[in-house]
Formats: sequence, structure tokens, C-alpha cells
Amino acid sequence: MSATGTRGTETIATAHRRRLDPAALAPIAGLAFVLVLAAVTTPNFYSPEVLRLVLFQAGIIGIAAIGQTLVLLTGGIDLSIGGVASLTSVTLAIYTAGDDTKLAIGILLCALAGVAVGLLNAGLVVIRNVPPFVATFASFVLIQGIIIAWTRGAPSGRTPPALGWLGTGRIFEIPVSIVLLAVIALVAGTVLGRSTAGRRLYATGLNPDAAARSGIRVGLVIAVCYVIASLSGVLVGLINSGYIGFVDAALVGKLNLDSVAAAVIGGIALTGGRGRIWQTIVGTLLLASMLTWLIQLGAGGGAQLVFSGAVILLAVLLQNGRQSLRALIPTKKGTQ
Amino acid sequence: MNTNTWRLSGALALGLAAALVVAGCSAEREDDSGSGAAPEDCINAEQAQAEYLASWDSVSQAFGLDDLVPVEEEVCEVDASAFKADPKNGDTYQIAFAAQGPTNSWGTLSDEALRFRAAELGVDVLYAAANGDATTQVDNIQQLTSQDPDAMVVVPMGEGIAGQVKAAADAGIPVIVCSGILPASSGAVSTVTRQYDLLGSAYAEWVAKSIDYQGEVALLSGLAGVPTAEYQLAAAKKVFEKYPDINIVTTQYTLWSPTEAKTVAQNLIATYPNLAGIWSDSGYGALGVVQAYQEAGLPVPPITGDSFNQVLMDTQGTDVEFAFSTFPPEMSSTCLDTALSLLKGENVLNKVFIDSPSFLAADAEQYIREDCSGDLPVPSLAPEALLVQLGLCEG
Repeated sequence: MSATGTRGTETIATAHRRRLDPAALAPIAGLAFVLVLAAVTTPNFYSPEVLRLVLFQAGIIGIAAIGQTLVLLTGGIDLSIGGVASLTSVTLAIYTAGDDTKLAIGILLCALAGVAVGLLNAGLVVIRNVPPFVATFASFVLIQGIIIAWTRGAPSGRTPPALGWLGTGRIFEIPVSIVLLAVIALVAGTVLGRSTAGRRLYATGLNPDAAARSGIRVGLVIAVCYVIASLSGVLVGLINSGYIGFVDAALVGKLNLDSVAAAVIGGIALTGGRGRIWQTIVGTLLLASMLTWLIQLGAGGGAQLVFSGAVILLAVLLQNGRQSLRALIPTKKGTQ
Repeated sequence: MNTNTWRLSGALALGLAAALVVAGCSAEREDDSGSGAAPEDCINAEQAQAEYLASWDSVSQAFGLDDLVPVEEEVCEVDASAFKADPKNGDTYQIAFAAQGPTNSWGTLSDEALRFRAAELGVDVLYAAANGDATTQVDNIQQLTSQDPDAMVVVPMGEGIAGQVKAAADAGIPVIVCSGILPASSGAVSTVTRQYDLLGSAYAEWVAKSIDYQGEVALLSGLAGVPTAEYQLAAAKKVFEKYPDINIVTTQYTLWSPTEAKTVAQNLIATYPNLAGIWSDSGYGALGVVQAYQEAGLPVPPITGDSFNQVLMDTQGTDVEFAFSTFPPEMSSTCLDTALSLLKGENVLNKVFIDSPSFLAADAEQYIREDCSGDLPVPSLAPEALLVQLGLCEG
């Protein structure tokens, strides 16, 4: 990369970092609102058991949402994360058949499968210029087809007991999944906010043509994000397998929805280039708290979907409203 | 906090409040639908009715119930003379099979049991898989109809396919609805299924009896809006309404996923520590509940569901009280038999209600198949050779 190119991307990222939009605080206000509502309507929400549930759910959703965030920042979307999680569950159960001694190789196989899916998505998006929505949805369908053809629709096998710790274990009474999320979020946040790689990613998402002209290998940046997103699906698949100890292929679609929802609710722009990891974490906590609170409230499945949909819509409307407002209000240097 | 932020927070609050109101008003109950053709003159009604009542008696006895009242159904014989026909193409009947598709072990067994039976009988099968999607199934039925089969067997993915089934019937193809129900307006000649009302009611009656007709009960259904789930749920609610001392504290959906069910159950443990019983429409739901309570070190409330191998293995040797029955995928072979009977001019029932094993925890051990996949619905009536061929059991 040329010196000029590096400076250009640094300028974009630095300006982005310094400009803290007050409207970005809306998800925090939303989270606070849900927490207050929960305190008023379901005081039991703050019992250690329920809080652990919220944290466990947040761990699962958040890990996938961080992978999704990286892809969203490039201006893409990954609808295959749930499929990868399902493929992981099936691969692990079939290969290991519940044998702990095969766990390491089983995890390696799952990771390789995840990388393969990530590369497939990246290839379709970067090389073939297929719209990310279409490419990753096609991958999702393909994975489902492979699972059905491989298992003839009847996946079998147990998850190795040693993996149970990942799904049901606790560290100082805190679910392992949320600890993993914290570590991953810290690493992702640091890389995005304080490294050249992060600046390249934001530049790619904001304006891929300009980023390419400044010397950034845009294709490589996008490919890496899709691979990481797929690997996040692998990790979620492993946690889910450890949680239930049984092949469960029924959750694929829900994870896709939740991962996108958490990122969007947090304020990650669907148009790419804008958003921080902490926003995804806030969106994740908001979503996990809300889903748990609704169950505590005794709301049925329909009500949960209506409520989740309304919050996502509201988040998107707020994002669009913010952008429209910026476009309308002239600044000293012109419009943004 | 500046004005803009207050405005946004207010908007979020308003949105949440609006969503709550809408959510509170959402209805998840579907109307009950009739099934099978409504004959003008009920032929051989007495014998047909006796066969229908037998399936209720069998469950009553297995669960030790005195209060299980069969829902009213008019079961009659269909005069098959109008459907008697030679094969349209060559010497072999061609039966179209609009299937669910192998999206899970139930779907796989449903498909393969019909194919296995067809091979035994020397019948050609025109197969189309919906992969669980009603819209895909509408296209499938249209395409199958255009191939002019001698008869059609449809595993319905939802009531939305009724119009296309009617079109097939109007084209002169006798249609058998299999493992599900459609409105009478679909024009299907016969419906072959395990009765949703029976399962939903029997599970509810057993839960009520197990908790001495008092206490808090949670309902765990499968998928909101899906007839298979909603019919059973509606039947259960109707039963619980009879008992004023039973309080249904919540109705949740598990997506027929043990993972989701476990999460829901962990919430139930925290929110309703005095839960006396859990009505579940599926074994997947029961598996999640059992794991959640066991991990919390709590006794598992009496629970219900359809039986599959893994949940029996996981409850073996425990003191978990349960009542399980089955929704056997192998009933597809009976659907094929019914279609062929029609074509041969043999009268069939307009509603064939499949009877299948129901049992309590004390009798469960005999149904465990250590040599088979945890995902296998048990007891399985499928031929052993087929289970081995599908990789569901060891040879």
C-alpha cells in the first residue's frame, strides 16, 4: 500500500472514530428501557438464574453477530452462518459418534468446512460479483442440501461429552459462551479500532472503489471477513452441540436472523463502513434481554416475533432517519 | 443527553409499547378444519365409527385415563365404484406422491416407507418433495397433476395447498391426504392420519390426572401457525379449560428443537418454580425440558410428547414421569394402500385414523433401540431392512 493510500484510510477511520453520533446511543437507551421494563414487569428477571440465561443467549447470538458485523461493515451480509452452525453440529456428531478421543479432529474438520463455506461466499461475492444476499443464501440452501443428502434427512450420532463444558460450563458462575464472546469482542474491537487491518475494512465498506485506488486489496479484505463469519458459525455450532449433546438441525434460520438483528439493532449500517463492535454487543444484549424477558412475561411465539420484528424495524428506521438528516443538513464543508 | 437523543429514546419506547400492544393482541389459534370428503350418505357408519373410537380407547387404556372423550367425527365408507379404474399407462398403477421431503428423520421415513410398500406391490411412484414448504408443494401438486397419475397421495404442508388439491381432484385424480388434514373443500377422497385432537387431548388429560387436576401447567408447542402444532395445542387447551384449578401459566414454542426447548425450560424453572406439569407436543421438546431440569438438580414435572429414541435413552433409569405416543411416519404405506384400494373398487373410509403405540415411563424401556439412531421415532413400524438401509439402525 502506498503512503498516500494509508494516510487516506487513516483519515477516514480517524474521522469516523472521533465523530460520535449521539443517535448511536439509541440502542443503549433501548437496552436500558428493556431492563427497566423487565424490572417492573418481571422482577424475577434479575435472579442469578435468569441473568445467566440472558448471558448464555447473548454469548451464542453475539459470537455470530460479530462475524456478521465484519461482513456488514464490508457492505455485505452473510445468511449462511446458521447453515454453518448446523453443518458443524452434524459433522461433529457423525464423525465422533460421541467419542471424546475424536473431538480434536472433529473440530478441525468443522473448521475446515467453515473455511470452505467462507471461501465459497467470498468467491461468489468478490470474483463473480454475485450480490451478497443471493450468494450467501445460495450457500445456506446448498449446505442444507448437503446435510440432507449426506444424512438422508436423518442425522444421527452423539456429541462428545467433553464438549459439554462449552455449552453448559461456567467460569466463576458465568456461562462459558459469554466469556468467549467477551474475548472475541475485545480482539475484534481492538483490530477494528486500532489496527491498519481495521482501517482497511472500514475504508472498503465506505467506498470500495476509493479503497482499491488507495492500494487496499479490497477482495482480500472481504474474503477474510466472510471466512471469519463462517468460523463464527462453527463456534456457535460447537457451543450448541455442547449445550444439548444431540444433533439439532432445527435452529439454522433463527441464528441468521438473530445475528443480523443484533448487529442492526446495535447500529451497524447495512450499507457498510459504519459501526463498532461495542454497538453489536449492545444490540446483542438488547436482543438477548428482550427475548428472555418476553418468555418471562409469558408472551407466546407470535408475540416474540412481532416484538423482535418491531425493534429491528425501529432500528433500521432510526438509521435511515439519521442518514436522511445528515444529507439534508449542510455542513461547513458541504453535505456528508 | 441532547434533544435528539431524547427524541430517539422516546421513539424507541413508543415502538416497544406499540409492539407490546400488537403482541398482546396476536392470535395464534387457527380454525379447526374438517378432513376427508363429506359423504352425502354415510355408508357402513356403525363399523366405521367403531374403528374410529378404537384409536381413542387404545390411548385411554395406555395412559390410564377415564376422562378422555373422543371428539365428534363422522366416519363413513366411501363408495369406491366411481374410482375403480385400470392403470392409465401400461399395466402398472402410477401413484403421485406429494411428500414433505427428507428434511428430518420423520420425513425420510415417511418417504421411504411409501416407496418400500410401492416396491412390494409393484406400483410406480411419481415423487415430489416439498422440503417442508407449502408454496413448493403447490407447484409440486400442479406438476404431478399434469402427469395424469392414477391417484395422488399428499402429505400436506399447510392448508394453503387445499386449492391445488381441489384442482387435482377436479381433474379426475383421486387424492388421499396423508399424515395431516385439509379442509373438506379440498375434495380429497380420504384422509389417513394419526388424529391431532387425540394426541393433544390425551396428553392434556394425562397431565391433568398426574397433577391431581390442580396446579400450574406450561404448554410447549412446536411452531406457531403450523397446523400440526396448532391443532394439538387447541385440543389441549380445550381439555385444560375443564379443570378450574389448573392454571396455564404460559404457552411457548420450541420450534421442535431440543436446544430451543431447553432454553425455554430454563426460563420456566426460573419464572415458575412451582410448575406442576408440562404439556409438550413433541419428544424434542420433552428432551430439552428433561435436560434443563436435570442440570438444575430439580425433579422433572410430568411431561408428554411424541416418542423418539434419544428421549427414551436419556430418561432410562430416571424417575421422570412421562406419557408418550407416536405420529408414525410409516402411515404413508397405509396411504398408498388406501389409494390402491380405491382404484381396485374396494370401499375405504373417508377418514382413516391410525392407531399407534402410546405408553408411560414404566413401559418405555422395551421401546429403546440401542442399535439405532437417537433421532429414530420409536417404536418404529418400518421394516427392519429399511431402517438398516437408511442408516438409522445397525445391520
